[in-house]
Amino acid sequence: MVDGPAPAAPIQRKKRLNFRPWLRALHRDIGYFAVGLTIVYATSGIAVNHLKDWDPNFRQVNLTHHVALPLPIDDDAASKRTLDALGVHETPREVYRASESQLDIVFDKRTFHVDTTSGVVHEEGQSARPLLRIANWLHLNRGKKAWTYVADFYATFLLFLAISGLFMIPGKKGLLGRGAIVALLGAAVPIVYVLLSGGP
Amino acid sequence: MANSPENFARTLARRRFIQGSAAGTVVLALGGIYVLSDELTREARAQTLPDGRPRLPPGQRVIHALRPMGGEPGDPSPGNYRLRVHGAVEAPFELTFAELLALPQVEQALDVHCVTTWSVLGAKFKGVRVADLAARAQPKKTARHVIFEAAHDYTSNISLHDALKPSVMVAHQLNGAPLPRAHGAPVRAIAPDFYFWKSAKWLTGIRFSEHDEPGYWETRGYNNHADPWKEERYG
Repeated sequence: MVDGPAPAAPIQRKKRLNFRPWLRALHRDIGYFAVGLTIVYATSGIAVNHLKDWDPNFRQVNLTHHVALPLPIDDDAASKRTLDALGVHETPREVYRASESQLDIVFDKRTFHVDTTSGVVHEEGQSARPLLRIANWLHLNRGKKAWTYVADFYATFLLFLAISGLFMIPGKKGLLGRGAIVALLGAAVPIVYVLLSGGP
Repeated sequence: MANSPENFARTLARRRFIQGSAAGTVVLALGGIYVLSDELTREARAQTLPDGRPRLPPGQRVIHALRPMGGEPGDPSPGNYRLRVHGAVEAPFELTFAELLALPQVEQALDVHCVTTWSVLGAKFKGVRVADLAARAQPKKTARHVIFEAAHDYTSNISLHDALKPSVMVAHQLNGAPLPRAHGAPVRAIAPDFYFWKSAKWLTGIRFSEHDEPGYWETRGYNNHADPWKEERYG
């Protein structure tokens, strides 16, 4: 055997725990999971935020009609004559004599207020905005019960997505560079707003 | 190549996009805070109430008609309607819609102020004063608060002292017509000295209470007292 230099011992590198693949995987899957809820909450948030400009839950119906006089004295007969004249073929849930000159014909979604002395019929009611009303109902947690927990979990997921997002990318595009600047800019928005507006 | 003309052009395009987005955001933000004062609001600001308060509370703008502000509608049926007057009273009672109409009626032109900053001046409400209902129910000496109860467990609260003011009423007509469904048909509360959420729509009960009970919005961050002239919007 020839004596030679002993082979170099392998360098024992300290194995660093790379958490980013796990973080990315969790961020990705929780992100997918949160898509539906985010659409519900964001859409409803925009809708409800502009409550003073529109009714985010219902479309309003306000129409004026005229029917020929005289109407029958019997309330049910007067109601039938009115509805026939207006081409309404549903059965009212109630016909109510509110006063000598006012007959209310009530349906689930609309009411006809008939002035029996002038023949003027005021139709008013609301029709629900199909998806938005449900989204608002969920967002405002009107139903309570289990949705409270769903909303809590969703909020927790959002917190996780926000915080995990900070650490997704290493290097100068991450928290050590551009990421920090953009994150600080975002955090400054509510702070500046509160300072300028005087806060609550 | 890092310095190829294509890369340079892409960088320029990206820069232009970012600049354009930033400029657009600034324009939108400025547009959002630009408030055009209108004639109705200017006129209202020049007026004062008999007690010396300005007619228009701070931060409000005048619009022509009440806006429907949502809420979970109650049963609009006058035939099914019942109003419970109860709680800390000597003589609780219940009224049908017809019985409510048979009580002494008042029609008042009232200003209402929504917490979302719109106001309507001189809206005509017809109905029965809460003071008249209280006189019949005889609140106990220990009663200090009034809770308006409405459909789907909505409540709002005001003090007994405020509830007995002549302007506070339960209304079934608005501007000479039956109260519209969107505004709480068949009957809603009207408490014009407070932000309008206190004036519960689809009213089902008036409960006198010895203790204050913050209601639906009061427990969700809105002010418990809700005086528009003090801008008590939030808790």
